[in-house]
Amino acid sequence: MNKIGLFYSFNSNKTKKIAESISEGFDSDVIESINAETVTEEQFLAFENLILGVPTWFDGELPTYWDEFGPAIEDMNLKGKKIALFGLGNQVDYPENFQDALGIIAQLFESSGAIIVGLTSTKGYTFESSKAVRNNQFLGLAIDFETQATKNKERVKAWIEQLKKEFE
Amino acid sequence: MYNNKLFSIKHTDKEVLRKWLHIMTLGRALDDRAPNYLRQAIGWSYHAPYAGHDGIQLAIGQIFDRNTDHLFPYYRDMLTSLSAGLTAEEIILNGISKATDVAGGGRHMSNHFAKPEWNIHSVSSATGNHTLHAVGVGRGMNRYKHIGVSISSQGESSVSEGYVYEAINGASNEKLPVIFVFQDNGYGISVPKKDQTANRKVVNNFSGFKNLKIFYCNGKDVFDSMNVMTEAKQWVVENQMPALVQANCVRIHSHSNSDKHELYRDEAERGYVADNDPLAKYRRLLTRYNRLSPEELQDIDKQVKDEVKDAHRKALAAPNPDPNSIFDFVSPEPYISTKYPNGTHNQQGEPKKLIEAINETLKAEFRHNPDTFLWGQDIANKDKGGIFNVSKGMQKEFGIERVFNAPIAEDYILGTANGMSRFNKKIRIVAEGAEFADYFWPAMEQFVECTHDYWRSNGKFVPNITVRLASGGYIGGGLYHSQNIEGALATLPGVRIVYPSFADDAAGLLRTSLRSPGFTLFCEPKALYNSVQAITSVPIDYEVPFGKALVRIEGTDLTVITYGNTTHMCIEAANKLKQENGNSIEVIDLRSLIPLDKETIIASIKKTGKALIVHEDKVFAGFGAEIAAIIANEAFEYLDAPVKRVGSTFTPVGFNRILEAAILPNTNKIEVAMIEVLKY
Ligand SMILES: Cc1cc2nc3c(=O)[nH]c(=O)nc-3n(C[C@H](O)[C@H](O)[C@H](O)COP(=O)(O)O)c2cc1C
Ligand SMILES: Cc1ncc(C[n+]2csc(CCOP(=O)(O)OP(=O)(O)O)c2C)c(N)n1
Repeated sequence: MNKIGLFYSFNSNKTKKIAESISEGFDSDVIESINAETVTEEQFLAFENLILGVPTWFDGELPTYWDEFGPAIEDMNLKGKKIALFGLGNQVDYPENFQDALGIIAQLFESSGAIIVGLTSTKGYTFESSKAVRNNQFLGLAIDFETQATKNKERVKAWIEQLKKEFE
Repeated sequence: MYNNKLFSIKHTDKEVLRKWLHIMTLGRALDDRAPNYLRQAIGWSYHAPYAGHDGIQLAIGQIFDRNTDHLFPYYRDMLTSLSAGLTAEEIILNGISKATDVAGGGRHMSNHFAKPEWNIHSVSSATGNHTLHAVGVGRGMNRYKHIGVSISSQGESSVSEGYVYEAINGASNEKLPVIFVFQDNGYGISVPKKDQTANRKVVNNFSGFKNLKIFYCNGKDVFDSMNVMTEAKQWVVENQMPALVQANCVRIHSHSNSDKHELYRDEAERGYVADNDPLAKYRRLLTRYNRLSPEELQDIDKQVKDEVKDAHRKALAAPNPDPNSIFDFVSPEPYISTKYPNGTHNQQGEPKKLIEAINETLKAEFRHNPDTFLWGQDIANKDKGGIFNVSKGMQKEFGIERVFNAPIAEDYILGTANGMSRFNKKIRIVAEGAEFADYFWPAMEQFVECTHDYWRSNGKFVPNITVRLASGGYIGGGLYHSQNIEGALATLPGVRIVYPSFADDAAGLLRTSLRSPGFTLFCEPKALYNSVQAITSVPIDYEVPFGKALVRIEGTDLTVITYGNTTHMCIEAANKLKQENGNSIEVIDLRSLIPLDKETIIASIKKTGKALIVHEDKVFAGFGAEIAAIIANEAFEYLDAPVKRVGSTFTPVGFNRILEAAILPNTNKIEVAMIEVLKY
């Protein structure tokens, strides 16, 4: 397997926790963590397999660090790269925009040629609408720390297994 | 999503990026400094910091074109105002309430930025009620075929106000070029937005409204805000329909200087809103994408520092408002009648009913002045013209553009009248304020605005509106078709109130109202519309000046002061007592309550030594209480008897005619009171 770049905000709170447990799910020599707050194009392009932590903020927005990298992403050639997204959201307090950021960023990567992997089922979640859903699947792993924290462990574990296959 | 947009970090011209940074840095410097003025007891005692709204506010100001557009900023719109062209000095002058403050010479609360001569309007603190004014301006643009947009800005919580819904409903139904911006920072003071409405984005409440487009933007992001506002404006101009813009913001600080957000936001939250500072984001983008160097950023910081220092120095040296100026701009000078300076005539002209006199005067004035408009409920349908047919035939003659129906939304009727008269000073609006005076209460908050505007703007804007209200009882109408509301409304400085009793005065006062700038409440005693008693000859060009009472009967024993329905009863009672007892009773018909003809009242009392005040409204706290107090103050030495009053009981008006008669004044009750006073 190609080395995986794990991009997330080192200053985040819950995203970081999930990122760390994902990281632990892989052998340390196949995964490298990079701070999304200061990520450069070179760092990004250095990987063929990428995992990104993308929490949804402010009623359906990308966190600002991803938004700020957006203009760069849009102009990169990401053809052939496999990108797996894990999102954080809260389906009880933000049911209208649950995990929207996943959907927004997935679209951005796809428009730059990347392939989104690690899609998961929407079963077990209750919300009204989400940009992260396509054909009844989330465009990544949907974590809800606030209202379904007890499911985090099993969701992360299953997703890691899924990625190990999809990144092959 | 980013780089192919009209504005983007990668492609927007460097000078434009620099200009924006300059405005934003300047705004933030002023926003951050404002609390110092309070700390040093210089002023700015109300400051609602805008930090966190930077993107959308920059964008609102940038798309505003003072040559074509109108802007209604709210109390948090400091950056909007700067971006629209106000200078740092003008911002500080408003903050510290100086005489040279362009918003209103220190009269209005600080942080209410405006520049009326640029169509950056002075708005109320009654939050969000300028949405109605923005719609009114939109109607003006529509009627005068003007290409431009009317922009209203407010927070998301104040959208809960009913008048905002009325405004958006009206803009949608009338298809008006209005942009409503909701700057959503998640709070109304300490109240989280989930306590306001069920949708997280309040704009979605309007998704079922026709003829409008909803836009969303990240109000913390300069480019998204600029792109969306530009697109919204284009859409509105092209489609001649309203747009709604939901701008996601954060409120980095407390609601205002009198709020402490530490009491209801935890440290984590205060932290993440600060981390999402739009100005910091913009600066990061500029350097990350190599558009401006760190040195260039520093240059702007330095330039702003000097600019603020200079503006501060100039503003501190500016004059304070003069306490002797407080009576300036309460109400504008009215039209002066050269032909009928006292509002009397020599009985030439055909006899007319009161209703005919009003109808014909309206028509004559609409022929005379093409910038006149009339709207209200039931105003325009085939042969119908208002609930009492007062404006019958108007729409046929003047067309639906000038004479038209309003929705059942009295606040909308008055608020959009106020707004439309902002479009152009020539405009004169007749608003049938409500079908009955009793239903005017929903418009009270706009009534207050109409009374405040001239004073608050330091004479820069006055709404040119005549509000017609079918008033009073004696028709068996009960609690909601009998009210007299002139007494309650007379407590508000800034409105003229007239209440004729005869056809000629109705015509003359209406003509004067329609030719005068300013705000006039025209009360129509509906029981007299078709009454024989109120018929008089009416000269076709008749004019009655404001503030001129008319002595209906001269007398020496007692002065009776009255207006409206009771004028006729007083005349009847006086005539009766003259015949029966030879009493000489003077009856004064006030015609105008504001301005009040004190001279005529006092002169009469000097002669008679006795005063009886009669009106249909309640005695308790009715307008007569004010007249009685004036007499006690200014004519005490001439009095030989206590000042007596006759009017309604302090009860609502009952529907059963037996109850109505027990409650309202009548000739007999007046006669009894006259006899009582005459005894002294
Ligand atoms: C102000 C705010 C807005 C949010 N908006 C959304 C949202 O629109 N949709 C959603 O699914 N979750 C939303 N959330 C929930 C966050 O995604 C969730 O708290 C996540 O765990 C944050 O992760 P982080 O702290 O690592 O950034 C929001 C949270 C906050 C504090
Ligand atoms: C009609 C009216 N009611 C209440 C207030 C008191 N008040 C002032 S600001 C405010 C909160 C408004 O919140 P929002 O509209 O979201 O704007 P923000 O201040 O958050 O920018 C309230 C309740 C007012 N000014 N006017």
